[in-house]
Amino acid sequence: MTAFEELVARHRDKIYARAFSMMRNEDEAVDLSQEAWVKSWQRLKQFQGESSFGTWMTRIVINLCLDQLRRRKRQRTESIEEMNEESGGVERQMPVVTVNPTERLERGELRKRIDQALSQLSHEHRTVLVLHEFEEMEYKEIAKTMACSIGTVMSRLFYARRKMAVLLANLKSEELK
Amino acid sequence: MTDHDFELKLQAYLDGELAAPETAMMEDRLGRDQEGRLLLAELRNTCAALAGHEAEIKLPETREFFWSKIEREIGRQEQPAPAAAGVSWFTWLRRHVLPATGIAFAVCLMSIWAVHRGKISGQFAEMELASDDVGAYTYSDPQQKMTMVWFYDRNDNSQSTELSPLGNVEEE
Repeated sequence: MTAFEELVARHRDKIYARAFSMMRNEDEAVDLSQEAWVKSWQRLKQFQGESSFGTWMTRIVINLCLDQLRRRKRQRTESIEEMNEESGGVERQMPVVTVNPTERLERGELRKRIDQALSQLSHEHRTVLVLHEFEEMEYKEIAKTMACSIGTVMSRLFYARRKMAVLLANLKSEELK
Repeated sequence: MTDHDFELKLQAYLDGELAAPETAMMEDRLGRDQEGRLLLAELRNTCAALAGHEAEIKLPETREFFWSKIEREIGRQEQPAPAAAGVSWFTWLRRHVLPATGIAFAVCLMSIWAVHRGKISGQFAEMELASDDVGAYTYSDPQQKMTMVWFYDRNDNSQSTELSPLGNVEEE
């Protein structure tokens, strides 16, 4: 148990950060990361060491977050935003952002803006972006994790990136004002 | 190839997920397609901005407090089996035996009632109602759904030997 406590102490921030990046809610992220640790204790024998312990733990918390998001989605009524998830909605007509909106930004400021922009994405777009850009998962792996087709992953990722580009550009133009 | 197909292939090219023949075709098209190159640049800038720039978020609870919650939850889930078994035995009794007993009791009651009713309806039931001055005979036929009641005057000697309906014939 002491060794497990040490593992929790070492990885707790990373696991919480992943839960928060997907849920965007502090209380839910704390609860889900705690649940992930309890689950990992129960499944510790299943950890074969094929990946690092941190990666294995991250997959557990990602799956718990996805389950929670699915439950939430079942409860809410379909919105226009949801119907536009795969078809792109307004992102389809957005002109290409030709200037790099994050150029010459200080690291801390860049992180802050990315976090702001991510919080404005839908759950589906944010999740696919987090899994691809931060967890460095391939399309196939994301599709398996999110229980959807590779085509859906590609489409969501494309529109998520396009929307991010516009949001970052808007933040830059706000700064110039 | 539709515009959207091209956009997705362009993204796959950027992510290194395009097969070799398609990569060559994409590079060929990009050489001629200005809009495609602009879109690729936008996607590339977004990827570059995101890479390694995830916000540094820390768990808003102390190490001791967070661990104590996990430890408590693990302990709760690993409660010894006998306690759980005691509860589940009682729950099992309550859930299965009590309703079954109730149903059996109801079936018993219904059977007794049915047997009793059968006995009554098996023979043509006849009831006699008597009072001081007026006598009555009742005849009931369940098959016809009919009840007949004979009233007679006890003091009238002429009717004492042969009964005839004086009053009600009720249809049930």
